[in-house]
Order: sequence, then structure tokens, then C-alpha cells
Amino acid sequence: MNLAVEVAGLRFKNPLIAASGTFGYGVEYEGLLDLSRLGGLVSKGLYLDPRDGCPTPRIVETPSGLLNAIGLQGVGVRAFVKDVLPRLARYDTVVLVNVCGDTVEEYAEVARILDGAPGVHGLEINISCPNVKKGGMAFGGDPVMTHEVVAAVRKATRLPVVPKLSPNVGDITVFARAAEEAGADALSCINTLLGLVVDVEARRPRLAFGTGGLSGPAIRPVAVRMAWQAARAVKVPVIGIGGITSARDALEFLIAGCRAVQIGTANFVDPGLYDRMLEDLAEYLERHGLADVNQIVGTLQYPLA
Amino acid sequence: MPANRQVPLVGRETLGGAYHLLTFQHREAAREARAGQFVMIKAGSCAEPPLRRPFSILAVDPERETFTLFVKAVGDGTRTLCALREGEIAQCLAPLGRAFTLPPPGTEAVMVAGGYGIAPFRLFSEELRRAGRAGRVFYGGRAAADLQLRERFAPLGVPLVPATEDGSLGARGRVTVPLEAHLDGRPGPVRLYACGPDAMLQAVARLAEARGLAAEVSLDPWMGCGIGTCLGCVVLVRRADEPRPKYRCACTEGPVFDAATVVWPEHP
Repeated sequence: MNLAVEVAGLRFKNPLIAASGTFGYGVEYEGLLDLSRLGGLVSKGLYLDPRDGCPTPRIVETPSGLLNAIGLQGVGVRAFVKDVLPRLARYDTVVLVNVCGDTVEEYAEVARILDGAPGVHGLEINISCPNVKKGGMAFGGDPVMTHEVVAAVRKATRLPVVPKLSPNVGDITVFARAAEEAGADALSCINTLLGLVVDVEARRPRLAFGTGGLSGPAIRPVAVRMAWQAARAVKVPVIGIGGITSARDALEFLIAGCRAVQIGTANFVDPGLYDRMLEDLAEYLERHGLADVNQIVGTLQYPLA
Repeated sequence: MPANRQVPLVGRETLGGAYHLLTFQHREAAREARAGQFVMIKAGSCAEPPLRRPFSILAVDPERETFTLFVKAVGDGTRTLCALREGEIAQCLAPLGRAFTLPPPGTEAVMVAGGYGIAPFRLFSEELRRAGRAGRVFYGGRAAADLQLRERFAPLGVPLVPATEDGSLGARGRVTVPLEAHLDGRPGPVRLYACGPDAMLQAVARLAEARGLAAEVSLDPWMGCGIGTCLGCVVLVRRADEPRPKYRCACTEGPVFDAATVVWPEHP
């Protein structure tokens, strides 16, 4: 049974990747699971300098989901390179680093620092975080800015570049094509959906930031639809993200055309889910007479004949 | 080391009101947990609500490899947990977080609990007894029915002073009233330990500062993961050697913090 996939010129031993913002810097999970079992992992978003993030409360549970406004609290790219990368080097897994910036120049600078860093295999470009005042979704919500950021990062690094697209747009295919034209090697689809939870007693938002990003099973149908649309619009591979908690959830994205998937909020609920998912994925393929996970990719029979 | 396990419920005791004692099989928590540490747990059968919940560890039995939680069924997460039957499975990551530290020899541990904030102090009282330290509990709640487990401290040689807002048990009013009365009596060296609602923790922190006493508080913000990756449970903390406060995860750097370092939110 082959579970390995190739995305952005990188070989992932299986299509399950831990999503940015839900897996820390990876090392937090040492001792709880064998990181070498993962197809890959994506670090928490990193700016040039450390960031404090949003005031509290930062998270609130919703029906089948989680609304968060963490605001990209982080140690900064230099501390990550110095303190985290050497620890991740012990594991046989693909390491993608999620790159953030307040400006186009900052994205490029972070990319340059990571370019020569040992143990970094690729860059995911965060143009879709809804919880920062500058950068993030402000860039990912405008196809011209999307092109500019991706092109700038493309110029700054030889590493594979994977923009992470926002679902908070009218037509994601416009953004997918803009990113592809700017030199993206693959696309991550999607980031969180912009949401608002109201405390009706206080008549205030439940999150200190006000709005937040919705994740978890609640968003999965939206995510599958948008990943499917993106995958049909571009030639580069799409990595599907949104509410995956099981092999069956992952299969929805693969069948809809994604070459790999990322697991996000489910990491919080059960850090042990990868072993079960891999078993179930192999069992599904076997039951359907398939020897290679790539054979299932893009097999959605739709539009219906 | 914390371990993520599917754990069977092996014992349950229904107390008054919505309070339950739930005992689960979990080797690492049973052998390694210290007072103030917690577990992240949810009923294995439930998809809703999505997240696990944090609970202080009330008791451990290293020989039977079990731990016990004190849970009040108030919302969907706690209700599904309390509805588990013996043999049914929960998903559990434990033990997590920083524990209370023992007071120096000759210093009395004064524990201040509000409602189900009593949970970590049972285990702490056992640790105090093993270490030969004196302890005392001030236990506050709305009414007598909220002061569960209050009879379980005397056997450990730890006196317990109740206070209720409706006066149905002990002193009427806030738990800080009998606490201050005790401290006014110049009891010798004491260190404060508090677990309960934020307003109570803040009151204990203020009182400790005013009297120049060391105090440890166990905070209980909403948690997503329990291991420092979601950054949802952060607390603003300013250590003595730092120029400005930093957000720190209550799950990994707490839940027990030195009260003097916590920058309290300005709550309405």
C-alpha cells in the first residue's frame, strides 16, 4: 500500500500534515506521538520578531467548532531557527514553516532567513490569518496583494512556496490563480472562516479581539467546496484543510482533488489521531481495490453525468 | 510525562446536587500527578462539545493506577462526562501543568477554596501530611450544598473552616472574612494557596500582597489543548526580572502561578 504523495516537489510519506497554529512548533508533541509518523507538519506562524498576540479571552467553543483570535503569538523566526529546528531534525517528516509579515518586505525577509536554515523543507505563506490588523487576511483578501506577497517570497527563497488561502473571499479561484501565477508550488486551502460569537448577557463579543477564525468540523463542507474549486482552477497541487477529524474526512478532500490534507483543530482534541487515521485510510483504499493513495485524488464524480 | 490514553471509568460516586466523583484508570496520572496538576478529558463517545475539558486531580491511587476527579455537571462537556457509566471510555491526557509547591518547613499552608476549587487541595493535604507540614483550609461557596467534600480533610489532620454567602454553613459572607480573621491572629509563618473563581483569587492575591505573604493561585481559563500549542489559555504574567508582562500558557506554565506575578484583567 503506497500512502506517499508528492506536493511542491516534496515527498510526504503519507498525506496527513499537521496544520499551522494547531501543532505549536511540533516539539510540544514529542512524547505524545512519534512525529516521524506524520506526513509533515506546519509550524505556528512566524514573523521576524516575537509577537504577543491578542488579549484574552482568545478562544470560544462553538457548535462542532472553535472560534479563535490568538493573533499569531510567537517566538519570531530567529528563535525558531536556533531553538526549534535542531530538535525537529531528529524526525523523519516534512517541515513546512508558516511565514507571516506586516509588510511584503517582512514576508520576504522571513523567507530569506529560512532559506538556508537546515531542516526547513518548504514555506507556507500566511496571507489568510483573520486575527491581525495588518498582513494576514488583508493580503489574502486582495488578488493583487496576494500576487505581490507570493512573488516577493518566491524571489527570496529557493524553497517550495505554499500560500495558504483565505475562505473569506467571493471567488477563491481568483486567488488560487493569482498565487499560482506568482510562482506558488502548491496551495493550502483553507484558513479559518471569519466569525463572531456574542455574549448575550454582556452584549459583547466573547473574544477580546471581537471577531475570530472559525475552525473544526463546522467548516468542513465549506472547506471541501473551496478546496475543490481551487483544485479545478490551478495546475499546482492543493492541500485541503478544514475540520478533518478522521480518515473519512480526509478522503472527502482527496476525492475532491486535494493531493494532501492538513489536520488542525482535531490536534487539540486528540493528539493521538494520526495512527488511527492512517490505519483507516489504508483500510479504505484496500477495500476499494486501490494500492496507492494517489489513485483516489480527484476522483469526484461531479458534475454528475 | 503526560500520556494520552483512552481511559475507562472504574468508579463513580454521586454527591449532592450536580456533583460527582469520577475515577478513571490512567497509569501515568496515578503514579506521577502532584496536587495542582490537571487532566484534559472528554467522554469518548461524544462528538459534541468538540473540546476536552481541564480538571484538577482530586486524588490518585498509584496501586490501582487510578485518579479521581471532582466534577460539577454544569454544561454539555461536564454533563456528558458525568453521564459515563462504569467501563465506558473517556479520552484523557494527563498529568499536565505545574503543581503547587510545598511551603518551607515550619510554614503553614493556608488553602483557600471557592466551590469546586476545593479539588486540588485534597491531594495537596496528603502531600503536606507526608512532608510533615501543617495545613488548613478555608472553604467558601454560595450555600452549604456547594461545600462538597468538606468532611474529607479532618482525617488528614487538616482543619477546615467553611463560609457561605447565605450563612447556611459557617461564617456568613465571603471566604476571605474568616481567612483574614485567621491571619489577624498572627498564626506564625503562612503561605497561601488558592483555587476558585477569579474574583476570589484576585482577592487572595491582593490580601497576600498587603500582608507580604507568598501566595500561589491556580487559574482556570478556557483551554483548547492542555499542552501549550493552541495558545488559547494564556495569562498575562510579569516575573520580577522582566521589564514587561508576557502572555504565558496556563496549561504549561500554570495553572499554578505565583500570585504576585499575575497581571489581573480589569473585569467588570
